[in-house]
Amino acid sequence: MPKKYLPFESVSRRDLLKFSVGAGVVGPLALTAGSVKAVNTKAHIVIVGAGAGGISIANRLTNSLQGAKITIIDTREKHYYQPGWTLVASGVWNQAKTETQVSDWLPKSVNWVKGMVAEYDPDNNQVILETGQSVAYDQLIIASGLQLRYDLIEGMDVGLIGQGKGIGSVYASLDAAAATNTEIKRWISKGSGTGLFNLPPTALKCAGAPLKMTFTTLHRLEDTGRRDDFNVEFMTPSGKLFGVPFYNDFVKQRFSDQGVTRNDFWTLKAVDADAKKATYSVKGGEDQVKDYDFLHVVPPMTAGAALENSPLAFQPGESFTGWMKVDRETLQNPDYPNVWGIGDVMGMPSNKTAASVKMHAKVLEENFLASLQGKPLTAKHNGYTSCPLITGIGKAMLVEFGWDSKLLPSFSFIDPKKESWTVWVMKERMLRPAYYAMLEGKI
Amino acid sequence: MTFFGTLTVVWYSALPWLWLIALMVIIFLAPQVIARMKGYSFGSQGGMGSKYLPPLVFVLALFLVPMQTQSSIAYVNTWVDWMNLIGASIGLGIYAWFVFHPICYLRNRKA
Ligand SMILES: Cc1cc2nc3c(=O)[nH]c(=O)nc-3n(C[C@H](O)[C@H](O)[C@H](O)COP(=O)(O)OP(=O)(O)OC[C@H]3O[C@@H](n4cnc5c(N)ncnc54)[C@H](O)[C@@H]3O)c2cc1C
Repeated sequence: MPKKYLPFESVSRRDLLKFSVGAGVVGPLALTAGSVKAVNTKAHIVIVGAGAGGISIANRLTNSLQGAKITIIDTREKHYYQPGWTLVASGVWNQAKTETQVSDWLPKSVNWVKGMVAEYDPDNNQVILETGQSVAYDQLIIASGLQLRYDLIEGMDVGLIGQGKGIGSVYASLDAAAATNTEIKRWISKGSGTGLFNLPPTALKCAGAPLKMTFTTLHRLEDTGRRDDFNVEFMTPSGKLFGVPFYNDFVKQRFSDQGVTRNDFWTLKAVDADAKKATYSVKGGEDQVKDYDFLHVVPPMTAGAALENSPLAFQPGESFTGWMKVDRETLQNPDYPNVWGIGDVMGMPSNKTAASVKMHAKVLEENFLASLQGKPLTAKHNGYTSCPLITGIGKAMLVEFGWDSKLLPSFSFIDPKKESWTVWVMKERMLRPAYYAMLEGKI
Repeated sequence: MTFFGTLTVVWYSALPWLWLIALMVIIFLAPQVIARMKGYSFGSQGGMGSKYLPPLVFVLALFLVPMQTQSSIAYVNTWVDWMNLIGASIGLGIYAWFVFHPICYLRNRKA
């Protein structure tokens, strides 16, 4: 017989402490409370990846299921608040602000298998780890994020970041973000030179991050009072800076106002770190070699070999080839209904942000519970994604949009087309708390 | 957003500032309690400090609050920005009055 729970049994001491601190401030908001009722199941649910998506869905399902066995697979012990890395690389935050332990966030009842999935075998409802161990499942949730493919840029290695060779990359890791800041400082203290900023030829997580790095570096260059001594160039493989036309035009205009040279249809192909030369393939033209003093590398990004080589990926000829195949509204794999996706791994427009994960988690939980109960999947993802576009250290724009680049502002009083101090404060002070609440499955 | 969701965000936002919140509560309570034991009420007579320091705190806050967020008043741009900044500065001005008014009262008594 399933255990009967008292309504307050799932409230932890940590929750009660929060209650005492927060109740006075947000008492009236209590009226908006609501939660999903627990569903009984004996299913074994396997979650691949203990990042933003994996942790938040693990917490949500722990609260909304009774009797389920939940297993999460990942080797990574540290959890990083990746959206904070742009602030680290811009010299605004220290590293410690973005680092916690995965174990701090995972519910005790979740079984954590420390391994990496090497193969998906959905026909036999199992995944095979790099060690050869197989893990069988009734339901599979793939939350493995994406892979950074620095190896696809000849001569590039993450070990080069911050080594005095002018190479930075905010994406590689927390240490790399800090090293990028060191490298930018080194360039600025030289007093002159060329900085090359790049976009990759693939989908990327937080498409605004390469722009943010350019804007915060411009800010720092302008602060020297000798901006004209520095040359800043931005390379775009697609000719576009941002997917949403309004912001694309805005950034283009701002780049021209701030003296940034744009090189459209240029893709970073090779780096000679010792000679400080970057080679670009140029659409319809000859390769070009550029000297640099600072190079911000943004690597191509893919879903990772295990997924790409499985029947769970979009196949060649389909859109989003190599990324996880899901119905973009229900987040269910159309060929294997017991396989679901969340986060960066999924093939869909934009949506590779933590802000999207927050929406994915809600939709996935609702549809997952409906599916377990044999009900139709009614929750639909609207494509929501968001990125506070930092346009200088101290100001930002709240960019929020969904499918077809439709703007989806969360706050009627914040103008999504204006730079604002309030949005900067949100980015700098509020979004990390909101992210942690998301990890806990509370928002 | 659920109730516990909202609380969780508030909790994580307040967490790095708990020491400051505690310090501000102590700085607020200490003069209030001491002065009240000596007959102070909000209607009591203050002094120069409680007259001029709160407006000074308000004006300084207009510049210092954005700086505290690693920004600057130059980036206070939209009406929401101004409302937030002026609101926060008025709040700090009122807080300063609550601190300086009883202190001035105590000084007046000594004099
Ligand atoms: C520099 C930077 C800036 C960003 N800025 C923002 C921002 O401003 N706003 C925003 O909303 N988002 C931002 N993001 C994006 C956001 O961090 C990601 O979209 C989010 O973390 C995605 O969550 P995820 O769970 O899909 O992937 P992740 O959080 O990356 O987690 C994936 C996990 O899967 C594990 N894994 C991978 N492969 C396997 C395997 N084969 N087997 C088992 N486990 C595996 C990994 O170890 C990892 O722990 C930014 C990201 C970066 C890097």
